[in-house]
Amino acid sequence: MGKKNVDPQRRMLLQLTTAVGAVGAGFAAVPFVSSMTPSARARAAGAPVEVDISGIRPGELRPVEWRGKPVWILRRTPEMLASLATVQPHLVDPKSQVKEQQPDYAQNETRSIKPEVLVVVGICTHLGCSPKRELEKGTISSDWEGGFFCPCHGSKFDLAGRVYKDVPAPKNLEVPKHTYLSDSRILIGVDPKGKGAA
Amino acid sequence: MQKLLAWVDQRFPLTKVWEEHVSKYYAPKNFNFWYYFGSLALLMLVIQILSGIFLTMHYKPDTSLAFASVEYIMRDVPWGWLIRYLHSTGASFFFIVIYLHMFRGLMYGSYKGPRELVWILGMVLFVALMAEAFMGYLLPWGNMSYWGAQVIISLFDALPFIGPSLAEWLRGDFVVSDATLNRFFSLHVIAVPLLLALLVFLHIVALHKVGSNNPDGVEIKKKKNADGLPLDGIPFHPYYSVKDTVGVAGFLILFAAAIFFAPEMWGWFLEHDNFTVANILQTPPEIKPLWYFTPFYSILRATTDDLIKYGLLPFVLALTALTLVSVRELKTKGIVVIIAGFVVAGFFGLEAKVWGVALMGLSLILFFFLPWLDRSPVKSIRYRGWKYKTALTIFTISFVMLGYVGTQPAEGIYKMCAQIGTLVYFAFFLLMPWISTYDKTKPVPERVT
Amino acid sequence: MKKLLVVFALLTAPALGWANEGACGQVAKCDPVKVDLNDKPSLQRGARLFMNYCLSCHSASYMRYNRLGQDLGISEELVEKNLLFATDKVGDLMSAVMPKADARAWFGTAPPDLTLEARARGPEWIYTYLRSFYRDDKSPSGWNNTVFPNVAMPHVLYEWQGSQRAVFKKNDKGMAHFEKFEVEKPGTMPPKEFDQSMRDLTNFMVYLAEPAKLERYKIGVYVIIFLAVFFVLAYLLKKEYWKDIH
Repeated sequence: MGKKNVDPQRRMLLQLTTAVGAVGAGFAAVPFVSSMTPSARARAAGAPVEVDISGIRPGELRPVEWRGKPVWILRRTPEMLASLATVQPHLVDPKSQVKEQQPDYAQNETRSIKPEVLVVVGICTHLGCSPKRELEKGTISSDWEGGFFCPCHGSKFDLAGRVYKDVPAPKNLEVPKHTYLSDSRILIGVDPKGKGAA
Repeated sequence: MQKLLAWVDQRFPLTKVWEEHVSKYYAPKNFNFWYYFGSLALLMLVIQILSGIFLTMHYKPDTSLAFASVEYIMRDVPWGWLIRYLHSTGASFFFIVIYLHMFRGLMYGSYKGPRELVWILGMVLFVALMAEAFMGYLLPWGNMSYWGAQVIISLFDALPFIGPSLAEWLRGDFVVSDATLNRFFSLHVIAVPLLLALLVFLHIVALHKVGSNNPDGVEIKKKKNADGLPLDGIPFHPYYSVKDTVGVAGFLILFAAAIFFAPEMWGWFLEHDNFTVANILQTPPEIKPLWYFTPFYSILRATTDDLIKYGLLPFVLALTALTLVSVRELKTKGIVVIIAGFVVAGFFGLEAKVWGVALMGLSLILFFFLPWLDRSPVKSIRYRGWKYKTALTIFTISFVMLGYVGTQPAEGIYKMCAQIGTLVYFAFFLLMPWISTYDKTKPVPERVT
Repeated sequence: MKKLLVVFALLTAPALGWANEGACGQVAKCDPVKVDLNDKPSLQRGARLFMNYCLSCHSASYMRYNRLGQDLGISEELVEKNLLFATDKVGDLMSAVMPKADARAWFGTAPPDLTLEARARGPEWIYTYLRSFYRDDKSPSGWNNTVFPNVAMPHVLYEWQGSQRAVFKKNDKGMAHFEKFEVEKPGTMPPKEFDQSMRDLTNFMVYLAEPAKLERYKIGVYVIIFLAVFFVLAYLLKKEYWKDIH
């Protein structure tokens, strides 16, 4: 459809009008596209969740819901904590160096603020299934040290949510932002005061 | 690019369709202001479908959730308020455009041969659009939504024999309820929009077969140049595509002004009583449909025993006499007498309520027959005589008046205006054969002016 | 044709104005009220009144606390500290403090949700209603209202306004017409101050009924300016092309 000898003024006007029209269409698309982002209701449901952890016995795991996802709170026993060192050679990222998987204050040996209390999002980093809890030793195989096993594609994690080598999941389980309001109450979804801008 | 196009053209008539309907579709060069409304109607359909898709993502067709989900869209969904107003205020703008589009047809005789099918398809579109709007209005589940649907569906009750069961079948319940809401939702978002899209396609195909009319009512295809192109025609693209862009821009300014500054239009586009959730215990003080239904609603309400006795009966008798004088064949005269006999018997035998519903239906049906009721040799109002001009003016005024009184309580002066308007409405159509036959027309030029 | 258009415009113009005649019940006239959503302090005062007095019995269940804070420029801590009575989460919808069943038992009817009251009734109605309670010994609550006769709601703010009596006059048809209020016992607020407070409350309720109104006007100006530019360009382009047509 390219015409030769088009009047330059006509071409200029045509281009200008088309450009302004295209910008207008772009602006008009903004409301429609952003209407599909999480609404105020979804964001209100994503508000921090307060949990009383005083009732969780050593070795017990309590799931809570935060932003529609399962969050696990596990009070680890001394043996469990000891296992964390044992399994280190078999892990992909034993030092939790992938930044976005945990706040700075949980980038440590136990991936937690208090060594015994693990707070972790119970969603496999592979394709979003929720792994099964295999906290006891030797349940999956004789050398199993306890941890989490995803039934969907066989990913394994240790008792700090760190991923084993040679499984489909690429990263450690995510540790959400959380803070201690007191010894027995934690708030999930908020950084401790003065820490972490993540 | 050229190669790709050639590849496609071998498999799909892309260039052919483009040329036939756009770049080599020859339209008369004398289109005026009134010819914007066709493309604007298409624009409104696109806007309604687009905003409707996004509303459907958040709306819940459940009587316990529907009202709150609309407010959820208005508050919690990012930009939801804008999308909702595009749709709800857009509905009114759609009807403004459609009414002006239809008025253009009346003025320039666009319904006359060879465009009868274009007109009939357009009228089916109009009726489908009314159904679409009516069902859409129930969805917010406001108090006016509820009672409006209740009243309009009860109209079907008036039909003899099948009425009550038909009304129950439509509602799926004995009153307007969750079942009604759910089926209206289904029809509103899927069935009728599909039908509308199909009808728009047919409307345009039929138009492009016979070619567009114009303000002079001259057939441009009669005068062609050596290449076989109409002398008074110009390609739709680029000439009318750029012109319609101006129309679209101007229209969008008005539309945006309404959406951003007066989406309720002081109760005309969004009614105050619809900001209360449907309440089966409390009818709003005045139930009225939105403005685009009120002319027809007025006809419905105006039909009382008085109107039948002192208005419709003399009207039908006079019309019968006039027909008997005008037609020659004995057989036709016999048929006319029999029909008139049935109608008059019906006036005495049936309730006024039944007649109200019948007349409201007839008021739409008559539009379909306009191509054959109008006997004038000319199309455009420019070359018609004073009789048709006066008739159209009076009809237009009384149509607007019917629309206005339909929003007011049916008493006193309003009721009288509605009854006079109703008679004028039917007189316009039913006297059209005589008005157009005896109207003194002016000679139509050979070429457009 | 231009003439016809003008006739059309003239026919429809007055009708637009008539659609919304502010009626305040059968006996009373609506008082005008200045609604100004740019008046943030007034909206904030209105919000405090609404939360403290209305929300005890009425809900505003389509509105979220944090949205209100953001729109009216109140920080989340302040909302939590001063406005949150019925819940402890700022993202919650504003429900009533009193359970619906209790309310029905006490008033005989559940107090309506107030989120959309200003759109359903109009600001003038609300403003007039709030100031039109009067003493009526025949009513169960001891109060009545000229705008909403026999309303179940008592005069919640009577300490501020004091109590008044309504004077009715019979017209020639024998129908009672509201004439005026007579002060029975002055309240703690001078009448002007009370009216001002009720204006704040009305103003807030207009905002509450449509929070989008705050941005709608602002965005609308830009949209129309943009479209006007596009219109001019499109018009020039059309003129340019139509040079070909004679």
